[in-house]
Amino acid sequence: MASRKLAIVAIVARRLIAADPAAGFGFGSAHKRHAAFARAWRLAFEDLGPAFIKLGQLISVRPDEFPDELVAEMQSMQDAVPSLPASAIREVIRQEFAREPEELFATFDDEPLASASIAQVHRATLAKAYKPVWGDVLPAGTALAIKVVRPGAADAIRADIAIARALAERVGRMRIARRFDPVALLDEFATTVDRELDLRVEGRFADRFTFDFRDDPLVVAPRIVWPRTTARVLTMEFMTGWRLSEIDVAKAHGVDTYALAVHGATAFMRQVFVYGRYHADLHPANLFVTPNNTIAYLDFGIVGYLTAEERMNITQVMAALVYRDPERALTYSAKLGVHVAPEHIAPVRAGLGELLDGTFRPDGTRDFAHFGLGFLKLLGEYGVQIPSGYGLLIKSLATVEGVARALYPEIDIVETAKPFTTRILGQAMGDPARLKERMPAALRAALRELVA
Amino acid sequence: MTDDVMRFFAAWMLTHEVADEGLKAAVLRGDEGGPEGMGGGPDAFVDGLAAMVAEEKEKLKRDLEARARGEEVAIETQSDPAFEELRFEVGELRGRLDNIESLLETLVRKSGS
Repeated sequence: MASRKLAIVAIVARRLIAADPAAGFGFGSAHKRHAAFARAWRLAFEDLGPAFIKLGQLISVRPDEFPDELVAEMQSMQDAVPSLPASAIREVIRQEFAREPEELFATFDDEPLASASIAQVHRATLAKAYKPVWGDVLPAGTALAIKVVRPGAADAIRADIAIARALAERVGRMRIARRFDPVALLDEFATTVDRELDLRVEGRFADRFTFDFRDDPLVVAPRIVWPRTTARVLTMEFMTGWRLSEIDVAKAHGVDTYALAVHGATAFMRQVFVYGRYHADLHPANLFVTPNNTIAYLDFGIVGYLTAEERMNITQVMAALVYRDPERALTYSAKLGVHVAPEHIAPVRAGLGELLDGTFRPDGTRDFAHFGLGFLKLLGEYGVQIPSGYGLLIKSLATVEGVARALYPEIDIVETAKPFTTRILGQAMGDPARLKERMPAALRAALRELVA
Repeated sequence: MTDDVMRFFAAWMLTHEVADEGLKAAVLRGDEGGPEGMGGGPDAFVDGLAAMVAEEKEKLKRDLEARARGEEVAIETQSDPAFEELRFEVGELRGRLDNIESLLETLVRKSGS
């Protein structure tokens, strides 16, 4: 453990020293220095392996806590590592099932489909028909994707988190973050990684997702083959199509990018505003499209959950953006735990008003990322603590906007949110508890209007 | 009494007419108020909601007219969400049992080897 601790310190130090020339040896502009050191941190995290790659991914979704340069740099973190030999993966499968892959599947391909810091994916085919949690029976011969946790990954990650926790106080003093609590961040990280290391959690979310979108044949997720799944092996349907990162190929095959962009954004809104559970790790590699314009969501390792109350408050904040209402945004953000000190309310409201009015692009569409990230920054300037779920959701919506605009640059994601937020808030008016609470005030207002 | 009743209905009609004009104006503002046109603020939400309700009203009107002509109207039928949820939970439970059974088989194999 001591040697790993030394190795971590050495790798970080080497990368930071190497960044000195790019930072102008401390004499460059603040932006130049920040950008150079942010890059050094990203490279160091990539060198340090799975735990730090995952930590970098967590930093990339916290623009409220970390400087812009670091967040941007961590967003470009590469989670692609050299693949392990098939023998190592077969050994994990043997340990998990006490059987050879050929006894479990009709075929098993030794050539990996993908290899990331935590897991490696191989192709296989289903040996006998299986009735999944939801939907039609998967016939024998169905193409499968087998996700296998890399041997030793769990132990290595947990050991690195323990070391990182020990170093956390020192990192806090290095002023890489505005006001974050490094120990709390690492605890949150440990919980996220623990969930991600147990692939059954991901499988259950995928099944739930399939159920949530049962009425929409254009949005799908791989269904899970539970008799062939353990904490370290996830067996799921193989999705055919193109990743969004290969969208040019999809376009060449006649995929309707406008329909995809609108439907993809709508599907995400539905996850957030209707179900309160959403895919929080959306990037072009986690989305597949097919020639018939179906969108397949993959990799449910990082997901977000909202309670019914949070969902309603988030909907109100979104409605505030749709209808440019700063008062509504502040009122319902406070209910989500964003507490602005009384002396700062007026300037924050004014700043928010400017942001809401300034969300328009030259083509007349609205820029959610400009608003969302600007709002987080504005709150940061006034020392407002931002709940992690709030930051994650804003980041997720900004990512969805980015993905949708990559598909169809003229899409207005705020306009897409309009029917959702309006309908949900409209329906909430009929809630008996709400009616009981609001009716006296509504009657008073009506009477005031009548006697005026 | 007659006068009172007449006055009552007159008042009701007037209120209805005024409210109707207000609603029509709100629907118009909500319809025309795209991202650039809408003034913003709490009233904008009311306009947006009114426009959405008006859309629903038009749909209802079309359905009623079609029915009056004797045409068959496809009514949006949704299965009971509670029943669907229950079916999903049963499916999920089956998945968990499949998973546990597989784990048990593995343990038996391991203990037998």
